[in-house]
Amino acid sequence: MPKLRNVAVVGFAQAPIVARDEHRIATEMLYEQVRAALAQCGVEREAIDYQAAGSADYLDGRPFGFVAALDVMGSWPAKADLHLEMDASFAAYYAWLRIQTGDSDTALVCGYGKTSEGEPERVLNLQLDPYYQAAIGLDPTSTAALQASAWMARTGATDRDLAALAARRRAAGARNPDAQLHDPASAEDLAQTPWAVEPLRRGYLPPVGESAVCLVLAAEGKAEKMCDRPAWIRGVDQRIELQTLGGRDLSRSAGAKLATERALAMAGLARAAEVDVVELCATTPAEECILCEAMGLDAAGARPAINPSGGPLAGNPLMMTGLIRLGEAFRQLAGRADGHGVAGARRAIAHGAQGHCLQHNVVWVLGDERRWT
Amino acid sequence: MSTSGPPKEPVKYVEKQLHLPYCYVAGDYKVRYLAALKDKTILGSKCSRTGKVFVPPIVASPESFAPCDELIPVADRGVVTTFCIVNIPVIGRSIELPYVAASVALDGADISIYALIQECAPADVRMGMRVEAVWKPDGERQGSHEDIIHFRPTGEPDAPLASFMHRL
Repeated sequence: MPKLRNVAVVGFAQAPIVARDEHRIATEMLYEQVRAALAQCGVEREAIDYQAAGSADYLDGRPFGFVAALDVMGSWPAKADLHLEMDASFAAYYAWLRIQTGDSDTALVCGYGKTSEGEPERVLNLQLDPYYQAAIGLDPTSTAALQASAWMARTGATDRDLAALAARRRAAGARNPDAQLHDPASAEDLAQTPWAVEPLRRGYLPPVGESAVCLVLAAEGKAEKMCDRPAWIRGVDQRIELQTLGGRDLSRSAGAKLATERALAMAGLARAAEVDVVELCATTPAEECILCEAMGLDAAGARPAINPSGGPLAGNPLMMTGLIRLGEAFRQLAGRADGHGVAGARRAIAHGAQGHCLQHNVVWVLGDERRWT
Repeated sequence: MSTSGPPKEPVKYVEKQLHLPYCYVAGDYKVRYLAALKDKTILGSKCSRTGKVFVPPIVASPESFAPCDELIPVADRGVVTTFCIVNIPVIGRSIELPYVAASVALDGADISIYALIQECAPADVRMGMRVEAVWKPDGERQGSHEDIIHFRPTGEPDAPLASFMHRL
């Protein structure tokens, strides 16, 4: 493994996830988070070399809508900028890459968007091919149900298993002030909720939520000045799979498996189970189990703690759910997770995903110590 | 293959019409701005660092990055800072051609708004011309941008270039 620059997450601010913010437009929500993230780091916008963001213009209903966010990201004097029509965890990946080139030491990474203003299921239907898949009305819930069905058929998992996992995440979410769902629900209760798309029940799926998040990355030399306990990025990898749903085994995540192997190798770890905390961007219990299998983790195990924040099942603001996982890993390592903190956490994995059925995966390995000396 | 109009042959083409409804939250800032239009009042927001006034109000100055917490009224009249004469029809508008689209810096504002200039010949519009809002009558204003029908010349002497160069 070649020597890379040590880069850390040094700040993270998130608006609590809500079904609908009636008082603020997306950029107003984001402004507060950018200010809060910079304040955490004790810097002003002049200290930021690069900025990257993830959002979806179709969810926003405005072509090139992403440029509105520039006004609240401190983009003046004119900044080098990147926007991805993807979950902002991938924007963080490209910001990390940019810092690796050596031309930038610091970066802001933002995710935003008011999911409640449009109809996300209609928008995400359009992500599929217009001839077969979109035309028959497939949306993320139905593709996730196909995936869950395939996984249950292969593993023998039952409705009760999905209910039990969903209940654990709901219980964890109740301890996270930024989660959307704060009321715990028992597996029995969740198993009584009606089908959304069988085999997925409404109680297993997060409601539509919206937020705004800002994360700060900094290279060694600056990171220590911006944060007393930086979360060092020790490994990262991202892999995308085929667009044709029938062209891959939906019951497995080959992309997450490969990304995990490569990120762990970069981090110098043999197994994912060597970390203390894992935050997975899984929007159904079945997805979470598929990811755990791909990573070699026990979804029901106590250590590593999986989704102690409640994860996406307790709040899924589209386009930033993955970046929140990275932010949560930082909170755990920096001792900022408060009510849902995992005692003694020194290493973490954060996973982000994009597209139907875990099409695109990014895996981060973080630790409280630098990787390269 | 036909090169004009949508193809009609079935099977050979797949026709797709997208319908994506949205319901935008106006946000507390814009709600107050829009509501004030009913009372023929135009609100701006003042930058807490530089004192610049933005119309319509925005939560933070893009330039200084400081919050713009204070909402203050600006005048419903101002100066044409730059303009163009439109000779081609625009989608969604049925205005007699040619017409003048202008940037108007309202008195008390540091940033221009876009405005339609009517009640004068396009050739008479010039940078520095003083203009005022023509409002819909009482009882007809809804709290939207359409409450201002257009702007028209006031007949006041032109403003000197130096007075609005920084507000283009």
